[in-house]
Amino acid sequence: MVFTSIVNYVRARGPDEFWRKRKIFKLAAHYIGRRRNCYSIAIRNVHRALVYATKGRKLKKLDMADLWTTRVRAGCEQHGIDYHTFRESLTREDILLSRKTLADLACWEPLTFKSLADIAKIRAENDGINCLSRLENSDGIVSWMLKNKNEY
Amino acid sequence: MSLKRVQQWATFARVWHIYDAAWQNPFDSAKLLRKHLMGMHKPIYHPLNDCGDHVIVINSKYIALPGDEWKKRVYFHHTGYPGGASWTLAWELHTKDPTMILKKAVYNSMAGNLQRRYTMERLHLFPDTEVPENLLKNVSNQLEQLRPKPKRLDHYDENYVKEFPKLIDLPKDYVLR
Repeated sequence: MVFTSIVNYVRARGPDEFWRKRKIFKLAAHYIGRRRNCYSIAIRNVHRALVYATKGRKLKKLDMADLWTTRVRAGCEQHGIDYHTFRESLTREDILLSRKTLADLACWEPLTFKSLADIAKIRAENDGINCLSRLENSDGIVSWMLKNKNEY
Repeated sequence: MSLKRVQQWATFARVWHIYDAAWQNPFDSAKLLRKHLMGMHKPIYHPLNDCGDHVIVINSKYIALPGDEWKKRVYFHHTGYPGGASWTLAWELHTKDPTMILKKAVYNSMAGNLQRRYTMERLHLFPDTEVPENLLKNVSNQLEQLRPKPKRLDHYDENYVKEFPKLIDLPKDYVLR
């Protein structure tokens, strides 16, 4: 390549080494030992941390979705209705609430959630979805001890 | 204010459940017990929220393993020394400690994190119906059994069995085994 201008003879070296490394050290500031002070070790760990962060953005959403399902399922069981029946019945009733909203209602507004469960139960009964649990029949009272112990 | 305070106590209070393991599959029961031990049956559940309940399990001596698992299921143990491996069949383990199969089933059904040991401390296993009075007085709920407990033939009333409608009368010389 032929350079016609004198400026291009100067070697271009990118950003200054100090500033380039400083970006990495800032990300490694809270690490322990040589990971925060030695550049070659710091950059390895920073790269690994950034990969975890990238994966974590996806996993966080999945974890939250799992948590909402667990909470809604727990709320449903308290009112004696199966989770899938509950969601299906609410859809048929045109109550289109998301899992997050339902989980918030189950956690913070239990009476609202109970009314939703009642609506779902009536709908499930009308539509003949036979997944309602036997919660009504169990009294929740310890009655087995009153029976004889020598049954086994 | 005081109402809110009491509400807070009531929400986070530990409930004591009792579960009759007689004739139950321990591996199906483990899922139910795990749910109550970790507090996953409450809408306030969060992995960092210490809201698990206590469960007392009675009659763990009378669990029912599916199929031929009494003979086939093997529990592994290693002492750490060379040649220290040992394999114990389920029926052998059950004769040594009638609570161990259920305990291991619950323990293995949970994720192996730091919380697991503390969660297991809330599980109280008893081989029969002999439960200490100080534990039993806490109990306020009974967990429903996963499958109905069948009634044995010799536990029925003798006259009821005798008068039960029969299809045929067996011959006198027929040997019943």
